Amino acid sequence: MSTSQEATSAPPTSRISRSRAPKKPKKSQIPFGILLVGVLIALGIFFQGKSSELATYWVFGLAFGYILQRSRFCFTASFRDPCISGGTSITRAVLVAIAITSIGFAGIKIGAGGALDMAGVNPIGLPMMVGGVVFGIGMVIAGGCASGTVMRVGEGFVMQMLSLFFFVVGSLWGAHDMGAFWDKFNVNAPRIYLPHAVGWFWAVVIQFGIILMIYMAAVKWQEKKLGSRE
Amino acid sequence: MQEHELDCMGEACPVPLIKTQKKMEGMAVGDVLIVHIDHSCAVKNVPEWARTQGYNVEIDDVDDGEWDIVIEKTK
Amino acid sequence: MNNFFKNLAKNEFYKKLLSEPLTYVAGAVLLSLFQIAHFAIFKSGWGVTGAFANWGAWLFQLVGGDVSDWGYFASASRQKTLEGGFLNDGGSIRNLGIMFGALLSTLLASQFKLKQIKALRQVVAAILGGLMMGYGARLANGCNIGALFTALGSWSLSGWVFAAFMLVGAYIGSKLLTKFFM
Repeated sequence: MSTSQEATSAPPTSRISRSRAPKKPKKSQIPFGILLVGVLIALGIFFQGKSSELATYWVFGLAFGYILQRSRFCFTASFRDPCISGGTSITRAVLVAIAITSIGFAGIKIGAGGALDMAGVNPIGLPMMVGGVVFGIGMVIAGGCASGTVMRVGEGFVMQMLSLFFFVVGSLWGAHDMGAFWDKFNVNAPRIYLPHAVGWFWAVVIQFGIILMIYMAAVKWQEKKLGSRE
Repeated sequence: MQEHELDCMGEACPVPLIKTQKKMEGMAVGDVLIVHIDHSCAVKNVPEWARTQGYNVEIDDVDDGEWDIVIEKTK
Repeated sequence: MNNFFKNLAKNEFYKKLLSEPLTYVAGAVLLSLFQIAHFAIFKSGWGVTGAFANWGAWLFQLVGGDVSDWGYFASASRQKTLEGGFLNDGGSIRNLGIMFGALLSTLLASQFKLKQIKALRQVVAAILGGLMMGYGARLANGCNIGALFTALGSWSLSGWVFAAFMLVGAYIGSKLLTKFFM
Protein backbone atom coordinates (compact mmCIF):
# COMPACT_ATOMS: atom_id res chain seq x y z
CA MET A 1 0.00 0.00 0.00
CA SER A 2 1.42 3.30 -1.00
CA THR A 3 -0.50 5.18 1.68
CA SER A 4 1.64 3.96 4.51
CA GLN A 5 4.88 5.13 3.02
CA GLU A 6 3.88 8.75 2.91
CA ALA A 7 1.58 8.93 5.87
CA THR A 8 3.92 10.60 8.33
CA SER A 9 6.17 12.76 6.25
CA ALA A 10 5.36 15.21 3.53
CA PRO A 11 6.97 14.43 0.21
CA PRO A 12 9.98 16.62 -0.56
CA THR A 13 8.40 18.39 -3.46
CA SER A 14 4.88 19.65 -3.37
CA ARG A 15 2.74 19.27 -6.47
CA ILE A 16 -0.33 20.94 -5.08
CA SER A 17 -0.08 24.69 -4.79
CA ARG A 18 -1.48 26.15 -1.60
CA SER A 19 -0.84 28.81 0.97
CA ARG A 20 1.14 27.55 3.94
CA ALA A 21 1.42 28.78 7.48
CA PRO A 22 5.01 28.92 8.75
CA LYS A 23 5.91 25.76 10.63
CA LYS A 24 6.06 25.86 14.39
CA PRO A 25 9.38 24.81 15.89
CA LYS A 26 9.02 21.21 17.02
CA LYS A 27 10.35 19.48 20.05
CA SER A 28 11.16 15.83 19.55
CA GLN A 29 9.21 13.40 21.73
CA ILE A 30 11.72 10.61 21.22
CA PRO A 31 13.54 11.32 24.53
CA PHE A 32 10.25 10.82 26.36
CA GLY A 33 9.81 7.58 24.45
CA ILE A 34 13.24 6.39 25.57
CA LEU A 35 12.42 7.41 29.13
CA LEU A 36 9.18 5.46 28.89
CA VAL A 37 11.05 2.34 27.78
CA GLY A 38 12.93 2.52 31.09
CA VAL A 39 9.70 2.88 33.03
CA LEU A 40 8.10 -0.04 31.18
CA ILE A 41 11.10 -2.27 31.92
CA ALA A 42 11.01 -1.25 35.59
CA LEU A 43 7.31 -2.12 35.72
CA GLY A 44 8.11 -5.42 34.03
CA ILE A 45 10.63 -6.22 36.75
CA PHE A 46 8.04 -5.28 39.35
CA PHE A 47 5.48 -7.67 37.81
CA GLN A 48 8.15 -10.36 37.47
CA GLY A 49 8.68 -10.04 41.21
CA LYS A 50 5.01 -10.86 41.76
CA SER A 51 4.89 -13.71 39.26
CA SER A 52 6.42 -14.47 35.89
CA GLU A 53 2.92 -15.06 34.52
CA LEU A 54 2.00 -11.47 35.31
CA ALA A 55 5.17 -10.19 33.62
CA THR A 56 4.30 -12.23 30.52
CA TYR A 57 0.82 -10.70 30.40
CA TRP A 58 2.50 -7.29 30.64
CA VAL A 59 4.77 -8.03 27.67
CA PHE A 60 1.87 -9.29 25.57
CA GLY A 61 -0.20 -6.22 26.42
CA LEU A 62 2.64 -3.92 25.38
CA ALA A 63 3.10 -5.84 22.14
CA PHE A 64 -0.60 -5.76 21.27
CA GLY A 65 -0.85 -2.04 22.05
CA TYR A 66 2.27 -1.21 20.09
CA ILE A 67 1.18 -3.22 17.03
CA LEU A 68 -2.38 -1.86 17.10
CA GLN A 69 -1.11 1.73 17.17
CA ARG A 70 1.73 1.29 14.68
CA SER A 71 -0.48 -0.31 12.07
CA ARG A 72 -3.57 1.82 12.95
CA PHE A 73 -5.37 -1.51 13.21
CA CYS A 74 -9.01 -1.03 14.06
CA PHE A 75 -11.54 -3.83 14.42
CA THR A 76 -14.30 -1.24 14.54
CA ALA A 77 -13.31 0.11 11.14
CA SER A 78 -13.43 -3.39 9.66
CA PHE A 79 -17.18 -3.43 10.30
CA ARG A 80 -17.92 0.28 10.04
CA ASP A 81 -16.03 1.37 6.93
CA PRO A 82 -17.92 -0.97 4.59
CA CYS A 83 -21.14 0.58 5.95
CA ILE A 84 -19.98 4.20 5.71
CA SER A 85 -17.38 4.72 3.01
CA GLY A 86 -17.35 1.35 1.27
CA GLY A 87 -13.65 0.83 2.00
CA THR A 88 -12.74 -2.73 2.95
CA SER A 89 -8.94 -2.76 3.20
CA ILE A 90 -9.05 -3.16 6.98
CA THR A 91 -11.83 -5.76 6.71
CA ARG A 92 -9.57 -7.83 4.49
CA ALA A 93 -6.67 -7.46 6.94
CA VAL A 94 -8.88 -8.79 9.75
CA LEU A 95 -9.71 -11.82 7.57
CA VAL A 96 -5.98 -12.41 7.09
CA ALA A 97 -5.52 -12.29 10.86
CA ILE A 98 -8.35 -14.79 11.38
CA ALA A 99 -6.89 -17.15 8.78
CA ILE A 100 -3.38 -17.12 10.30
CA THR A 101 -4.68 -17.46 13.85
CA SER A 102 -6.92 -20.40 12.86
CA ILE A 103 -3.91 -22.29 11.57
CA GLY A 104 -1.83 -21.57 14.67
CA PHE A 105 -4.60 -22.41 17.12
CA ALA A 106 -5.40 -25.61 15.21
CA GLY A 107 -1.82 -26.78 15.71
CA ILE A 108 -1.90 -26.02 19.42
CA LYS A 109 -5.34 -27.59 19.92
CA ILE A 110 -4.43 -30.78 18.07
CA GLY A 111 -1.10 -30.93 19.90
CA ALA A 112 -2.90 -30.70 23.25
CA GLY A 113 -4.81 -33.87 22.42
CA GLY A 114 -8.28 -32.55 23.14
CA ALA A 115 -7.59 -30.75 26.43
CA LEU A 116 -7.92 -27.31 24.78
CA ASP A 117 -10.66 -28.12 22.29
CA MET A 118 -13.29 -25.93 23.93
CA ALA A 119 -10.94 -23.03 24.77
CA GLY A 120 -12.28 -19.85 23.20
CA VAL A 121 -15.52 -21.51 22.09
CA ASN A 122 -18.55 -19.44 23.05
CA PRO A 123 -22.20 -20.47 23.35
CA ILE A 124 -24.40 -19.33 20.47
CA GLY A 125 -27.40 -18.01 22.31
CA LEU A 126 -29.74 -15.06 22.55
CA PRO A 127 -27.38 -13.04 24.81
CA MET A 128 -24.63 -13.22 22.20
CA MET A 129 -26.96 -12.02 19.44
CA VAL A 130 -28.35 -9.14 21.49
CA GLY A 131 -24.88 -8.36 22.78
CA GLY A 132 -23.43 -8.34 19.28
CA VAL A 133 -25.92 -5.78 18.00
CA VAL A 134 -25.61 -3.57 21.10
CA PHE A 135 -21.82 -3.77 21.00
CA GLY A 136 -21.78 -2.99 17.28
CA ILE A 137 -23.83 0.17 17.73
CA GLY A 138 -21.72 1.27 20.69
CA MET A 139 -18.35 0.85 19.02
CA VAL A 140 -19.32 2.91 15.97
CA ILE A 141 -20.74 5.73 18.07
CA ALA A 142 -17.78 5.79 20.48
CA GLY A 143 -15.21 5.59 17.68
CA GLY A 144 -13.45 2.45 18.82
CA CYS A 145 -14.06 -0.98 20.29
CA ALA A 146 -12.48 -2.35 23.44
CA SER A 147 -8.90 -2.75 22.21
CA GLY A 148 -9.23 0.42 20.13
CA THR A 149 -10.52 2.47 23.05
CA VAL A 150 -7.71 1.33 25.35
CA MET A 151 -5.17 2.03 22.61
CA ARG A 152 -6.55 5.51 21.96
CA VAL A 153 -6.43 6.34 25.66
CA GLY A 154 -2.70 5.69 25.33
CA GLU A 155 -2.62 7.96 22.29
CA GLY A 156 -4.07 10.82 24.32
CA PHE A 157 -7.75 10.92 23.38
CA VAL A 158 -9.76 12.49 26.21
CA MET A 159 -13.01 11.38 24.55
CA GLN A 160 -11.90 7.76 24.71
CA MET A 161 -10.91 8.11 28.37
CA LEU A 162 -14.50 9.05 29.08
CA SER A 163 -15.72 6.23 26.89
CA LEU A 164 -13.46 3.75 28.73
CA PHE A 165 -14.90 4.80 32.08
CA PHE A 166 -18.43 4.18 30.85
CA PHE A 167 -17.28 0.97 29.17
CA VAL A 168 -16.30 -0.21 32.66
CA VAL A 169 -19.62 0.94 34.13
CA GLY A 170 -21.49 -0.81 31.32
CA SER A 171 -19.46 -3.97 31.90
CA LEU A 172 -20.49 -4.05 35.54
CA TRP A 173 -24.11 -3.46 34.57
CA GLY A 174 -23.88 -6.20 31.95
CA ALA A 175 -22.22 -8.58 34.41
CA HIS A 176 -25.05 -7.98 36.86
CA ASP A 177 -27.79 -8.57 34.28
CA MET A 178 -25.95 -11.53 32.83
CA GLY A 179 -26.01 -13.33 36.18
CA ALA A 180 -29.52 -12.21 37.05
CA PHE A 181 -31.28 -12.67 33.74
CA TRP A 182 -29.44 -13.46 30.50
CA ASP A 183 -27.53 -16.50 31.72
CA LYS A 184 -30.60 -18.71 31.56
CA PHE A 185 -30.69 -18.38 27.77
CA ASN A 186 -27.18 -19.77 27.59
CA VAL A 187 -27.97 -22.99 29.48
CA ASN A 188 -29.18 -24.77 26.37
CA ALA A 189 -27.27 -22.69 23.84
CA PRO A 190 -24.94 -24.79 21.68
CA ARG A 191 -21.18 -24.37 21.99
CA ILE A 192 -20.02 -25.48 18.59
CA TYR A 193 -16.38 -26.33 18.01
CA LEU A 194 -16.34 -26.89 14.26
CA PRO A 195 -13.88 -29.82 14.16
CA HIS A 196 -16.08 -31.70 16.71
CA ALA A 197 -19.28 -30.93 14.88
CA VAL A 198 -18.24 -31.84 11.34
CA GLY A 199 -14.69 -33.22 11.52
CA TRP A 200 -11.49 -31.43 10.57
CA PHE A 201 -11.94 -31.76 6.81
CA TRP A 202 -15.29 -30.00 6.68
CA ALA A 203 -14.23 -27.59 9.41
CA VAL A 204 -11.39 -26.41 7.19
CA VAL A 205 -13.72 -26.19 4.20
CA ILE A 206 -16.28 -24.15 6.18
CA GLN A 207 -13.81 -21.87 7.98
CA PHE A 208 -11.66 -21.01 4.98
CA GLY A 209 -14.66 -21.06 2.67
CA ILE A 210 -16.30 -18.32 4.74
CA ILE A 211 -13.05 -16.34 4.94
CA LEU A 212 -12.58 -16.55 1.17
CA MET A 213 -16.20 -15.67 0.42
CA ILE A 214 -16.15 -12.60 2.65
CA TYR A 215 -12.77 -11.60 1.22
CA MET A 216 -14.06 -11.72 -2.35
CA ALA A 217 -17.27 -9.97 -1.36
CA ALA A 218 -15.18 -7.25 0.32
CA VAL A 219 -13.15 -6.66 -2.85
CA LYS A 220 -16.32 -6.46 -4.96
CA TRP A 221 -18.03 -4.21 -2.42
CA GLN A 222 -15.19 -1.69 -2.48
CA GLU A 223 -15.06 -1.74 -6.27
CA LYS A 224 -18.76 -1.03 -6.41
CA LYS A 225 -18.72 1.71 -3.75
CA LEU A 226 -15.39 3.38 -4.46
CA GLY A 227 -14.57 2.23 -7.97
CA SER A 228 -11.17 0.92 -6.91
CA ARG A 229 -9.71 -2.16 -5.26
CA GLU A 230 -6.80 -0.39 -3.68
CA MET B 1 -8.90 27.64 -8.11
CA GLN B 2 -10.19 28.00 -4.60
CA GLU B 3 -8.77 26.86 -1.31
CA HIS B 4 -11.09 25.32 1.29
CA GLU B 5 -10.34 24.37 4.86
CA LEU B 6 -11.84 21.78 7.16
CA ASP B 7 -11.14 21.59 10.86
CA CYS B 8 -11.26 18.02 12.17
CA MET B 9 -9.12 18.52 15.27
CA GLY B 10 -10.21 16.33 18.15
CA GLU B 11 -12.54 14.28 15.97
CA ALA B 12 -12.42 10.49 16.10
CA CYS B 13 -13.03 8.13 13.19
CA PRO B 14 -15.01 8.14 11.02
CA VAL B 15 -16.05 11.78 11.45
CA PRO B 16 -13.04 13.28 9.58
CA LEU B 17 -13.61 10.99 6.60
CA ILE B 18 -17.35 11.69 6.35
CA LYS B 19 -16.79 15.44 6.67
CA THR B 20 -14.10 15.34 4.00
CA GLN B 21 -16.34 13.40 1.63
CA LYS B 22 -19.19 15.87 2.11
CA LYS B 23 -16.94 18.87 1.65
CA MET B 24 -15.34 17.48 -1.51
CA GLU B 25 -18.75 16.89 -3.07
CA GLY B 26 -19.53 20.59 -3.00
CA MET B 27 -16.19 21.68 -4.44
CA ALA B 28 -15.36 22.52 -8.03
CA VAL B 29 -12.75 20.65 -10.07
CA GLY B 30 -9.34 22.19 -9.43
CA ASP B 31 -10.19 23.30 -5.91
CA VAL B 32 -7.95 22.33 -3.03
CA LEU B 33 -9.13 21.17 0.40
CA ILE B 34 -6.94 21.32 3.47
CA VAL B 35 -8.09 19.05 6.29
CA HIS B 36 -6.63 19.78 9.72
CA ILE B 37 -6.40 16.53 11.63
CA ASP B 38 -4.90 15.16 14.85
CA HIS B 39 -6.13 11.56 14.69
CA SER B 40 -3.47 9.10 13.57
CA CYS B 41 -6.01 6.69 12.06
CA ALA B 42 -7.66 9.42 10.01
CA VAL B 43 -4.28 10.35 8.55
CA LYS B 44 -4.38 6.90 7.04
CA ASN B 45 -8.00 6.50 5.99
CA VAL B 46 -8.70 9.98 4.60
CA PRO B 47 -5.78 9.89 2.11
CA GLU B 48 -6.64 6.27 1.33
CA TRP B 49 -10.16 7.25 0.37
CA ALA B 50 -9.00 10.29 -1.61
CA ARG B 51 -6.59 8.13 -3.62
CA THR B 52 -9.34 5.65 -4.51
CA GLN B 53 -11.15 8.64 -6.00
CA GLY B 54 -8.07 9.49 -8.04
CA TYR B 55 -7.44 12.83 -6.32
CA ASN B 56 -3.98 14.23 -5.62
CA VAL B 57 -3.14 13.92 -1.96
CA GLU B 58 -0.35 15.30 0.18
CA ILE B 59 0.24 15.00 3.89
CA ASP B 60 1.94 17.78 5.77
CA ASP B 61 3.39 17.34 9.25
CA VAL B 62 2.27 20.46 11.06
CA ASP B 63 3.20 19.61 14.62
CA ASP B 64 3.59 16.59 16.87
CA GLY B 65 0.45 14.59 16.28
CA GLU B 66 -1.03 17.20 13.93
CA TRP B 67 -1.33 16.94 10.20
CA ASP B 68 -2.71 18.82 7.22
CA ILE B 69 -4.09 16.63 4.50
CA VAL B 70 -4.11 18.50 1.22
CA ILE B 71 -6.49 17.12 -1.38
CA GLU B 72 -6.80 18.45 -4.90
CA LYS B 73 -10.07 17.69 -6.66
CA THR B 74 -8.74 16.64 -10.02
CA LYS B 75 -11.96 15.46 -11.61
CA MET C 1 20.12 17.60 21.99
CA ASN C 2 16.79 18.31 20.35
CA ASN C 3 18.54 18.45 16.99
CA PHE C 4 20.05 15.03 17.50
CA PHE C 5 16.62 13.48 18.03
CA LYS C 6 15.16 15.43 15.14
CA ASN C 7 17.83 14.04 12.84
CA LEU C 8 17.28 10.59 14.30
CA ALA C 9 13.59 10.87 13.43
CA LYS C 10 14.56 11.59 9.83
CA ASN C 11 16.90 8.61 9.60
CA GLU C 12 15.42 6.16 7.11
CA PHE C 13 16.13 3.09 9.24
CA TYR C 14 14.59 4.70 12.30
CA LYS C 15 11.54 5.62 10.26
CA LYS C 16 11.11 2.10 8.89
CA LEU C 17 11.70 0.46 12.24
CA LEU C 18 9.96 2.73 14.69
CA SER C 19 7.86 5.50 13.24
CA GLU C 20 6.23 4.96 9.85
CA PRO C 21 2.85 3.27 10.07
CA LEU C 22 2.79 -0.41 9.22
CA THR C 23 0.31 -1.63 6.64
CA TYR C 24 -2.92 -3.18 7.89
CA VAL C 25 -1.81 -6.59 6.66
CA ALA C 26 1.53 -6.31 8.48
CA GLY C 27 -0.45 -5.45 11.62
CA ALA C 28 -2.69 -8.47 11.03
CA VAL C 29 0.28 -10.83 10.70
CA LEU C 30 2.00 -9.48 13.83
CA LEU C 31 -1.18 -9.55 15.92
CA SER C 32 -1.80 -13.13 14.82
CA LEU C 33 1.71 -14.26 15.78
CA PHE C 34 1.37 -12.76 19.26
CA GLN C 35 -2.15 -14.14 19.56
CA ILE C 36 -0.89 -17.65 18.75
CA ALA C 37 2.02 -17.34 21.20
CA HIS C 38 -0.46 -16.10 23.82
CA PHE C 39 -2.63 -19.17 23.31
CA ALA C 40 0.37 -21.49 23.46
CA ILE C 41 1.59 -19.99 26.74
CA PHE C 42 -1.64 -19.31 28.63
CA LYS C 43 -3.90 -21.99 27.09
CA SER C 44 -6.39 -19.22 26.45
CA GLY C 45 -6.68 -16.55 23.78
CA TRP C 46 -6.47 -12.79 24.07
CA GLY C 47 -9.40 -10.92 25.59
CA VAL C 48 -9.96 -7.34 26.67
CA THR C 49 -13.37 -6.79 28.20
CA GLY C 50 -13.43 -9.54 30.82
CA ALA C 51 -11.09 -7.43 32.95
CA PHE C 52 -13.40 -4.42 32.57
CA ALA C 53 -16.08 -6.21 34.60
CA ASN C 54 -13.53 -6.66 37.38
CA TRP C 55 -12.56 -2.98 37.15
CA GLY C 56 -16.24 -2.16 37.50
CA ALA C 57 -16.55 -4.41 40.54
CA TRP C 58 -13.52 -2.80 42.19
CA LEU C 59 -14.82 0.71 41.53
CA PHE C 60 -18.20 -0.37 42.87
CA GLN C 61 -16.54 -1.68 46.02
CA LEU C 62 -14.68 1.62 46.41
CA VAL C 63 -17.99 3.47 46.65
CA GLY C 64 -19.36 0.91 49.10
CA GLY C 65 -21.01 -1.52 46.69
CA ASP C 66 -21.04 -5.28 47.07
CA VAL C 67 -20.97 -7.83 44.25
CA SER C 68 -20.51 -10.96 46.38
CA ASP C 69 -24.03 -12.24 45.73
CA TRP C 70 -23.98 -11.59 41.98
CA GLY C 71 -24.27 -14.72 39.89
CA TYR C 72 -21.65 -13.45 37.43
CA PHE C 73 -18.90 -13.25 40.06
CA ALA C 74 -19.93 -16.45 41.89
CA SER C 75 -17.31 -18.81 40.44
CA ALA C 76 -14.24 -19.57 42.54
CA SER C 77 -11.83 -18.23 39.93
CA ARG C 78 -13.65 -14.90 39.60
CA GLN C 79 -13.80 -14.57 43.38
CA LYS C 80 -10.09 -15.16 43.57
CA THR C 81 -9.41 -12.52 40.89
CA LEU C 82 -11.57 -9.98 42.69
CA GLU C 83 -9.79 -10.64 45.98
CA GLY C 84 -6.36 -10.44 44.35
CA GLY C 85 -6.93 -6.90 43.13
CA PHE C 86 -5.86 -5.01 40.00
CA LEU C 87 -2.12 -5.64 40.29
CA ASN C 88 -2.54 -9.42 40.45
CA ASP C 89 -5.00 -9.75 37.56
CA GLY C 90 -3.28 -10.77 34.33
CA GLY C 91 -6.12 -9.44 32.17
CA SER C 92 -5.91 -6.02 33.81
CA ILE C 93 -2.14 -5.88 33.42
CA ARG C 94 -2.48 -6.86 29.77
CA ASN C 95 -4.94 -3.99 29.20
CA LEU C 96 -2.58 -1.61 30.96
CA GLY C 97 0.10 -2.89 28.62
CA ILE C 98 -2.02 -2.07 25.56
CA MET C 99 -2.36 1.49 26.81
CA PHE C 100 1.37 1.92 27.42
CA GLY C 101 2.34 0.08 24.24
CA ALA C 102 0.26 2.54 22.22
CA LEU C 103 1.74 5.47 24.15
CA LEU C 104 5.26 4.20 23.45
CA SER C 105 4.47 3.86 19.76
CA THR C 106 3.21 7.45 19.48
CA LEU C 107 6.11 8.88 21.49
CA LEU C 108 8.77 7.10 19.44
CA ALA C 109 7.09 8.44 16.31
CA SER C 110 6.98 11.87 17.99
CA GLN C 111 3.23 12.12 17.41
CA PHE C 112 1.76 12.32 20.88
CA LYS C 113 -0.87 14.96 21.50
CA LEU C 114 -3.57 15.26 24.13
CA LYS C 115 -6.77 15.45 22.14
CA GLN C 116 -9.40 17.39 24.03
CA ILE C 117 -13.13 16.93 23.75
CA LYS C 118 -14.51 19.89 21.85
CA ALA C 119 -18.23 19.29 21.51
CA LEU C 120 -21.06 18.07 23.71
CA ARG C 121 -22.03 15.48 21.10
CA GLN C 122 -18.66 13.79 21.68
CA VAL C 123 -19.43 13.50 25.39
CA VAL C 124 -22.82 11.97 24.65
CA ALA C 125 -21.29 9.60 22.10
CA ALA C 126 -18.55 8.50 24.50
CA ILE C 127 -21.00 7.84 27.34
CA LEU C 128 -23.63 6.07 25.24
CA GLY C 129 -21.11 4.13 23.19
CA GLY C 130 -19.12 3.12 26.25
CA LEU C 131 -22.19 1.89 28.13
CA MET C 132 -23.48 -0.06 25.13
CA MET C 133 -20.11 -1.69 24.47
CA GLY C 134 -19.71 -2.67 28.12
CA TYR C 135 -23.20 -4.14 28.36
CA GLY C 136 -23.01 -5.86 24.98
CA ALA C 137 -19.60 -7.36 25.61
CA ARG C 138 -20.75 -9.00 28.84
CA LEU C 139 -23.77 -10.55 27.10
CA ALA C 140 -21.66 -11.79 24.20
CA ASN C 141 -18.83 -12.96 26.46
CA GLY C 142 -16.30 -10.76 24.73
CA CYS C 143 -15.67 -7.96 22.27
CA ASN C 144 -14.05 -7.80 18.86
CA ILE C 145 -11.12 -9.59 20.41
CA GLY C 146 -12.57 -12.25 22.74
CA ALA C 147 -15.82 -13.04 20.93
CA LEU C 148 -14.54 -12.43 17.41
CA PHE C 149 -10.77 -12.68 16.85
CA THR C 150 -10.06 -15.30 19.53
CA ALA C 151 -13.32 -17.22 18.98
CA LEU C 152 -12.79 -17.42 15.23
CA GLY C 153 -9.18 -18.46 15.65
CA SER C 154 -10.46 -21.15 18.04
CA TRP C 155 -12.69 -22.63 15.30
CA SER C 156 -15.80 -21.65 17.22
CA LEU C 157 -18.89 -21.20 15.07
CA SER C 158 -19.99 -18.51 17.53
CA GLY C 159 -17.43 -16.11 16.04
CA TRP C 160 -19.19 -15.98 12.67
CA VAL C 161 -22.61 -15.60 14.28
CA PHE C 162 -21.28 -12.80 16.48
CA ALA C 163 -19.75 -11.11 13.42
CA ALA C 164 -23.08 -11.19 11.60
CA PHE C 165 -24.96 -9.61 14.49
CA MET C 166 -22.23 -7.07 15.06
CA LEU C 167 -22.41 -6.05 11.41
CA VAL C 168 -26.11 -5.32 11.95
CA GLY C 169 -25.15 -3.22 14.96
CA ALA C 170 -22.40 -1.43 13.04
CA TYR C 171 -24.87 -0.59 10.27
CA ILE C 172 -27.39 0.84 12.74
CA GLY C 173 -24.56 2.65 14.53
CA SER C 174 -23.35 4.19 11.27
CA LYS C 175 -26.82 5.56 10.55
CA LEU C 176 -27.10 6.97 14.08
CA LEU C 177 -23.62 8.46 13.87
CA THR C 178 -24.20 10.33 10.62
CA LYS C 179 -27.57 11.54 11.87
CA PHE C 180 -26.85 12.60 15.45
CA PHE C 181 -23.13 12.66 16.15
CA MET C 182 -21.62 14.60 13.28
